[in-house]
Amino acid sequence: MARAAALAGVGFLVVGPLASLAVWSLAERWTYPSPWPQRVGLRYWSRMLGSDFLEPLRVGLVIAVIVTVLALAFALPLGYVLARLRFPGRTAILLAFLLPQAFPQLPVFASATREFYRWGLAGTVPGVVLVHLVGGLVFAVWTMTAVFRSIAPELEEAAQNLGASTTRTFLTVSLPLALPGLVASAVLVFLYSLDEFTGTLLVGSPFVTTLPVYMYTASVGYELQIASVTAIALMVPGAVLLLLLERFLKAEYLVFFGQV
Amino acid sequence: MFVWPLTVSVVASFTRDGAWTLANYGTVWRLYARDVGYTVGVAAAGTALTFAAAIPACGWLRVRAFGPVEFLLKVPLFVPFVVVGHALRVFLSPFAPAFASSWAGLAAALAWKHLGLAALLLLGAFRAVDEGYLESARQFGAGPGRLTRDVLVPMAAPTLAVSAILIFSSMLASFSIPLMMSRGGGAQMLMIDVYYRFGQHGDFETAAALGVVAYLLAMGAALVYGRRIVR
Repeated sequence: MARAAALAGVGFLVVGPLASLAVWSLAERWTYPSPWPQRVGLRYWSRMLGSDFLEPLRVGLVIAVIVTVLALAFALPLGYVLARLRFPGRTAILLAFLLPQAFPQLPVFASATREFYRWGLAGTVPGVVLVHLVGGLVFAVWTMTAVFRSIAPELEEAAQNLGASTTRTFLTVSLPLALPGLVASAVLVFLYSLDEFTGTLLVGSPFVTTLPVYMYTASVGYELQIASVTAIALMVPGAVLLLLLERFLKAEYLVFFGQV
Repeated sequence: MFVWPLTVSVVASFTRDGAWTLANYGTVWRLYARDVGYTVGVAAAGTALTFAAAIPACGWLRVRAFGPVEFLLKVPLFVPFVVVGHALRVFLSPFAPAFASSWAGLAAALAWKHLGLAALLLLGAFRAVDEGYLESARQFGAGPGRLTRDVLVPMAAPTLAVSAILIFSSMLASFSIPLMMSRGGGAQMLMIDVYYRFGQHGDFETAAALGVVAYLLAMGAALVYGRRIVR
C-alpha cells in the first residue's frame, strides 16, 4: 500500500511534466481553454523527421564526436599521470579542471565569445567545439583519473618486474583494465556535448545550431509541438544511458551528470 | 580554455574605457541589486524544495528498498536543462499560467531538475549509515518517517550540507531553465541579466561585473570541490 502510494506520488511528480511533452508533440490543434487537444495525430512527427530537424541533429552529432575524441585523447594520458604521480603543480592542474564545475559558466562563456570574435571563431563549428571542450575535459579528466586510481599499481609493477617497458605496461596492462571506464567517460562527454546549450547559444549563434538551440528557438517562438518533438528526441540518449549505467556503472560517474 | 576567459572577465569588470574603476559595480548595484536578491531567493527556495522532496523519498527508500521509485527519482538526472525548461513550461502553462512564470514556478522547475542529483547524493549517504542504528530504533517502534528524521538525517548531516551547497550554486548559475520559463518584466535571474547585458547592450564590462557577483555567490561550491582535491 505504502509502495503503491510512493510510486504514484513520485511517478506523478517526475513523469507528469515529461508526459505533457508527449501530449504536446501529438497535439495538432490545442487552443486555450480546452483541457486536452482538439485534434491529435502524428503530423508533427512526420514533418520533423523529414525536415529541418535533421540538420541540427547532424551538426550536433559531428561536434559531439570531435569533442569526445579530443577530450579523451587529452584526458587519457593526463588522467593516468594525475592518478599515479605526485608532482608539484598537480593540485593546481586538478583545480583548473574543477573550476568550470564550480563556477557559473555563462559569464565565462560570454568572455570567451568576445575573444572568439577577434579570432573569427564565433559562429563556427571549431568555436563551438572549443567551448564544449571546457566541460568535456572536466568530465573526461575527472573520470579517467578516478578510473586509473581504481587500478591496483601492483599489476603494473608486476609487468615491469617481468621486463616490460613503461609504454608497454601502459598499453598491455593499464589500458585494457581501464577500458570500461574509458567507454563510460566517452559516453558522458558525448552526451554532455550533445546536450550543451549555454556555450552553444553564445558562441555558435547565429550559424551553428544544435538540437538544444533549435529546441529553444522553437519553444520561445511558440512552436510548442516542434519543440516538444525535439525535446523527446533529446531525451532518448539520456534515457539509454540511464539504463546502461544502472547496469554497469558506479554512482560516482552519475554525479557528474547532474550538471548537464 | 576556462581560466583565461575567467581572468579576462574578472579584469574587465574593474575597467571602463581602459581605466581601472569600480563604476561597473556601481551600475550593477543601481540596476541589478534587486535581481541579486531575487536570484539568491529563487536558488534558496529551489534548494529547500529539492530537499523537501528528496529527504522523505530517500529516507523511505533506505528503510524499504523499492527499485521502481529509486529509478524514477534518478530520471531528472538525465533530462537536459533545456528540455526541463520547455517541459515544465508546457506542463504548467495550461493549468497554472501565473505560477509557470512566477518565482515559485521557476524554483519548482529547478527543484525538479536537481531532484535526481539530490537523490543520488542522499541515497549514498543514507546507505552508508550502519544498519545497526536503524535496527535499534526499530526496536522502539520507529517507522520510516521517524527513522529518517531522528537517525538518517542527523547521521548524514555533512553530506546533506555539501549537497545543499552544490545544488544551491548550480541553481544560482542556471541559465536555460529561467530563459525558457521567464517572462518579459520583473526581477530576473542573474545569468539572464548577464546574457542580455552582453548580447543586447554589448556592455561587456557590466556583464563581467555581474559575473563576478555570481562567482562570489557560488564560492561555496568552489570550496567544496577544492576540499575534495586536497583530500
